[in-house]
Amino acid sequence: MSDVVFDLENPTEDHRMLRQMVRNFVRDVVEPQAEEHDRTGTLNVPLLKQAGELGLLGLTVPEKDGGAGMDAVSAVIVHHELSKSDPGFCLAYLAHAMLFVNNFYYASNEAQRERWLSKVISGEWIGAMGMTEPSSGTDVLGMRTVARREGEGFVLKGHKALITNAVDADVFIVYAKVDGDVTTFVVERSAPGFSVGKKTEKMGMRASTLSEFMLDDVFVPAENVLGTVGGGVRNMMRNLEIERLTLAAMSLGIADRCLDIMVRYAAERTSFGKSIAEHGQIQRYIGESFAKTEAARALVYSVARDVGPAKRNRIGTDAAKLFAAPVGKEVADNAMQVLGGWGYCSEYKVERFLRDAKLLEIGGGTLESHQKNLTKELLRKVKQD
Amino acid sequence: MKILVALKRVADPDNANKVKIPASGEKIDTTGLEWKPNPFDEYALEAALRLTENGTQPKVRAGEVVVVTFGPKETETTLRAALATGADRAIRVDASDDKLDGDLVARALKALVEKEKPDVVLMGKQAVDGDSNQVGQILAELLDWPMATFAATIREEAGALLVGREVDGGVSTLRVKLPAVVTVDLRIVAPTSVYSTKTPSTHKYNDGVRFAALPAIMAAKKKPLVEVKLADLAPDQALKVSYHGFAAPPARKAGIKVKDVSELVSKLKNEAKVL
Ligand SMILES: Cc1cc2nc3c(=O)[nH]c(=O)nc-3n(C[C@H](O)[C@H](O)[C@H](O)COP(=O)(O)OP(=O)(O)OC[C@H]3O[C@@H](n4cnc5c(N)ncnc54)[C@H](O)[C@@H]3O)c2cc1C
Repeated sequence: MSDVVFDLENPTEDHRMLRQMVRNFVRDVVEPQAEEHDRTGTLNVPLLKQAGELGLLGLTVPEKDGGAGMDAVSAVIVHHELSKSDPGFCLAYLAHAMLFVNNFYYASNEAQRERWLSKVISGEWIGAMGMTEPSSGTDVLGMRTVARREGEGFVLKGHKALITNAVDADVFIVYAKVDGDVTTFVVERSAPGFSVGKKTEKMGMRASTLSEFMLDDVFVPAENVLGTVGGGVRNMMRNLEIERLTLAAMSLGIADRCLDIMVRYAAERTSFGKSIAEHGQIQRYIGESFAKTEAARALVYSVARDVGPAKRNRIGTDAAKLFAAPVGKEVADNAMQVLGGWGYCSEYKVERFLRDAKLLEIGGGTLESHQKNLTKELLRKVKQD
Repeated sequence: MKILVALKRVADPDNANKVKIPASGEKIDTTGLEWKPNPFDEYALEAALRLTENGTQPKVRAGEVVVVTFGPKETETTLRAALATGADRAIRVDASDDKLDGDLVARALKALVEKEKPDVVLMGKQAVDGDSNQVGQILAELLDWPMATFAATIREEAGALLVGREVDGGVSTLRVKLPAVVTVDLRIVAPTSVYSTKTPSTHKYNDGVRFAALPAIMAAKKKPLVEVKLADLAPDQALKVSYHGFAAPPARKAGIKVKDVSELVSKLKNEAKVL
């Protein structure tokens, strides 16, 4: 036996240092601003830019192209730690760094990287990704946005909705069909015919903003096609893996924080002359929250080791999000129950985490879509045998 | 300018309640404690970085910052973090925490200073674990160098540092000729506390210590970190301070409720005897 300690959350020293750095940033800078942006329903743009200064926006981009060259475990670490304080901000970070930057990088060519990469890695430009439409979410291939060829490029027509960061973004990844085949485009906000709607109000994740955008005959040159014409589904499916994984990590962060809040509260609160932690029913909330959080941690971090630009892990990432999302929500709910009336009030923060946690059962794929896709994949494997 | 910064890791002061003392009272049980750099030492490092740069271009180092710590292999984490923040080189003096005292550390540092020949030794005014507040002072004495303690501001001049110290009722300003030993207080990391001769006087730093950016964290792995044996710096490892016992602070007694202000005043006067 070697005396090397197995550290599930930090497989290497790099991971440990990254986590420490994010923790310091969260403690000193993120935590103090979280409540205000939840209340006002606004994205803290300077904070996102500060994440850029720290090198977090190009986390998964190789070093040779100006990124930090880190892996999926690292992406999990950042989302896990940010969500212990501010899941709403973390969702905006995810939409930028995963849905835009990671997606863009692995589908782009040299000229495209030259044009956009340093702007989004530094945070000078904010990115967003538009897949969902008013009439198609889970059924993503039912999208109606089309791109028809014209001259040296394409003309895009359609309507995207429920797009994180759309309110503040400068550049968008847009999925549209060319002759029925999904294709990935980069569209700048300033493109004629492109317009963003009003902010869409929502229950939680309020420190990120949501909106729709309209493509009213927007011309984009052929150089704005990411990958090949008709190659959009491949880009989309590859990027959805790290998206599901990091969303699962966000749930884990919420669960960790809410567990901490509930245990601390139970340690101090008394009723009927004894600590509430002595009541069996409270112990059940704490015990089950802890066990489920630990299970989510084990699953998320083990799946993370097997996700990367060159590997596919559809089934693992579906499983991670399917399991972790309800854990975040349940632990936040348990925390509220342990805190009683105070849990329902904003001061103790769990009501915010509970509102935020619910999104993870919907965004980036609903629980039902994970169940469906997992089953499909498992059946496919059986049939292959 | 070449600056040597001494760093110590301490048990995370935010989790001081995890500090355990076995019934024997012989020593502090450090198992399960989380370690952090001593905050005052982090401020010293920040001050060293500010003194070796133009504040408008903090990625370019003008001069050299060498960090040193005393402790077992695990303390290299503290050094790597300092390298990521901007230090150029690190030295770990291999030692066991419970076989050190301020005097021995100062004697070993003296030997190291003679080898490294820095212009300034910067350190925290004290470590927040033992609160001894003496290594800087002993070191200055051993080296026979000028010293300024509890620095709240530092301004670099040609061949000297102008150090502001907050004292009762005002600020006392010292000019120390280099080489010198300076220990810092927490205000040293305020936006306008430290100026090198290269930093424009209009420049304002962010409040607090800087964060290490990710590329710097990765680059830090390639920066030099050497191990030195304590015996090579201090052949005589006898300690002057010996600990006779440790005890946890007494548990707080429950409070009482008073009827009115006059009862409060009377209790403060007659029972607490604080009035
Ligand atoms: C806060 C927030 C941020 C978002 N950010 C983005 C973003 O940045 N970019 C982006 O493109 N999208 C984004 N979305 C959209 C999100 O991905 C979709 O909401 C999600 O995929 C579900 O689609 P839908 O809302 O259209 O629901 P529907 O697909 O209409 O689903 C409605 C219900 O039917 C169920 N259902 C649908 N199809 C099936 C089926 N085949 N089998 C069983 N049940 C089914 C669903 O599970 C759900 O319960 C965001 C959404 C939210 C709320």
